[in-house]
Order: sequence, then C-alpha cells, then structure tokens
Amino acid sequence: MLKKTAVLLSTLLLSNSLSAHTLWLLPSHYVLSKQDSWISVDASAANMTFVPDKGISLASLTLHLPDGKVQQVTSVHQGKRKSMADIQLAGDGTYKLEMANPLRFFTSYELNGERKRLMANKQERAAQLPAGASKVETTQMRSRNFAYITVNSPTNTLVKLQGEGLEISSKVHPADVVAEEPLHLVFNLDGKPQAGVKGVLSYEGELYRNDAGRIEFETGADGAFSFTPATAGRYLIEASYSADSDSALADKVRESVTYTFEVALP
Amino acid sequence: MKLRHLACCMFALSWVASAQPSEIALEIPVIETSQYHRPYVAVWVEDAQQQPVKLIALWVEKPDWLKDLRRFWRKIGRSNTTLVDAVSGATQKPGNYTLQWDGKDDTGATLSTGRYTLFVEAAREQGGRSLVKHEFDLPAQGAVIEMAAEGELGAVTATIR
Repeated sequence: MLKKTAVLLSTLLLSNSLSAHTLWLLPSHYVLSKQDSWISVDASAANMTFVPDKGISLASLTLHLPDGKVQQVTSVHQGKRKSMADIQLAGDGTYKLEMANPLRFFTSYELNGERKRLMANKQERAAQLPAGASKVETTQMRSRNFAYITVNSPTNTLVKLQGEGLEISSKVHPADVVAEEPLHLVFNLDGKPQAGVKGVLSYEGELYRNDAGRIEFETGADGAFSFTPATAGRYLIEASYSADSDSALADKVRESVTYTFEVALP
Repeated sequence: MKLRHLACCMFALSWVASAQPSEIALEIPVIETSQYHRPYVAVWVEDAQQQPVKLIALWVEKPDWLKDLRRFWRKIGRSNTTLVDAVSGATQKPGNYTLQWDGKDDTGATLSTGRYTLFVEAAREQGGRSLVKHEFDLPAQGAVIEMAAEGELGAVTATIR
C-alpha cells in the first residue's frame, strides 16, 4: 500500500528529498469547550501517518480566525523529527490552521541526457534555459496543508469554498465527523467539483498495524469521495490533481492538499 | 459559565409532580481508584431525526471538560449555552438518583407523537466514558425502559409517562 502512495505522490517535478514524504499538521485538539485554550500543533514530513520523520519550517504556518482574519503563527520550534507550534484560540468558532505554498513554477528540461529543473514560468524560462535544453516543460504548483479546530459552537466562514485551487467541501462540518456515519467529501478545483483528483485516506496507528488500511481513490465527475470511518481517531487525506494547462505561464498544473481531521466517538 | 445546583432543577420540576412526570432512575457506580473524580453526566432526549429536544439533566463542573461528554457536546453543549446554564448542576457522588421529566421539550411545549431516544452519557476525568441509549414512543403510557450498566454508569431504569 505504501508503495502505491509513493507512486502517486512522486512526479517528475517533485524530485527533492521530501518527495515521497507527506507533510501534515496535527493539532493536539480539534474540539475545545473553553475560550482562550491553548493547542499545540505537530508538523512533520513523513511516510507514515502521524509518525514524525522530518521537522519542517513553520515559517508559513498561519491561523485563520473564525471571522476570516489571518494571523501568522510565531511561537514555533523546528525539531529534527517534527516541528511544533503553540497557539491560543481566543473566541468561539471554527479556526483553520494552514500551511500553504503560494503558486510556484518549475521548469524541467533535459540536457545531455540528464533531467534538470529551474524555478521559472513559461515566460521567464527562455532567458534561463541553457543552450541545447530539450523536453522543456513548465508546471504550476500549489500545495495546502490544513486542519480545522472548533471552540464551542462551529462556524462556517472558513469551511466555505474560496473558489481558487484545490479545495475540499462537505455537507458535514469538520466538527461533526463521527465514526460509523458516512462522510461525503467533494474535491473542487477553482470552486467546481473536479474529476480525476487522486487521493489516499489513512489514519493514525499505522506503526502498530500490519495492514495500514489506507484507501486510495480517484474522483469522478461529481468530484466526490465517500467513506464511513469505522473507528474514532485522527485521519489524514492527501490528494492531488495534475492536468495539462493552456495558461501563458505553464504547460501543466499540479494542485495538492493534505487535510487532517478528527473522527469523533458516536 | 454559570452552574446552578441540581437542587434548583429538582425544585423547578417538582411543581409538575401531579401531572405524573416520567421518572429516570440512574446510578453512579462506586469505582475503586486512587484518583477518583466525579463523572460529568448528561441526560437528554433526541427525536427521530437525532435532533435534541429536551435536556433533562447535566452534572458538570468546569467548561474545559464538557467536550468529553462527546455526543452531548456535539448535539447540545457547544451551541446552546443558555440551555446549558439553565439546566446544569453540580457533579454527584456515587449513588442512586431519580430524575423527573414532565414530557415537555426545552421550550416548554408538549412533545408530539412519535419515536424518541433517551440518552445518558457519562465521562470521568482519568476514567472512561459511557453512552447508553434507548428508543421509546410517545405517547408512552408508562412504558419502562431498562438499560444495562456500562462502565461509568450503573443500570438506568426509566418510566416514560
């Protein structure tokens, strides 16, 4: 199962050392019943779900407040195996913790039989490509890693689609996901359900199971992936979408998300 | 969050005693452990659509731990602070307790004919969490519900009138 996942995540463009690793954010609490509570957040790039492997920079970690305002998270520590953030949640509502990379452009090419790449979009690349470069291809990439935390009453401001890039929507609020009840998720690209989004669902405890129990999926025209979590616990969805693009800046687009959530006891 | 003593609730319910209220008898079991904390307990009724219609009792202390009554928190606690404040009372020591319910919903209206479910949930700091439930129909005409003891809860017997 792990092998298949690695294939899914590794593309020509993700050839750096973290390529086969999944970056996740793991809050200590998803549901709180007291204002001003602190949470800690673990973040790591790892192969096994919620088993930390490599600490990562949390420079781009943000906290989206229930009213839509965005705060930089500054109380962070980058460790060898995982990184950690301390966050205090002042008011009621649903918060979103997010680590997102803005749009980036990679141009890959072949030179003397060797695959290389540079950071340039389709318009910038001509000036940077060495003479003799062949098989030139530019990909627009964006990734989002996120989780929702709810203090007292849930709110919807941050779970609504923004209409840009790959996003997940559901009729079930993140604070209402319960074991033994079906969960229907829709993967949207630029605000519309998207076919061909490939993903993997996993849950904590893989280190202590022979069969990790991962579920791989690919969305159809309705953009949907449905499943019924058998047990309560913390789950991870990693999903991505790649396609040819007719944009002036790229030949291909690649959007990816990792989403961690809690499945509550019935 | 303002918590009122259980006695207030019991007193408030006593005036309907002549209308033959439903009775819910529950037990908080004695649990031998070095670090015993009284459990948080919620007793409530949901309709056939799993929507809460009546919070009968809530024994809690600090808001931090209300979320550990998982289903109660999801269905009622997190969004209806007014009701929580009105109904909540102090946690209780091990023993037998009898709650009364006048058959009305949280707004004071009589519940319509149909199927409902009685829930009893308990969660104890440094202990476990238990949830028991049983369906009943209204009008119940004295139907007796019995739920076996489980973890943090002793046997529950309810007479629905």
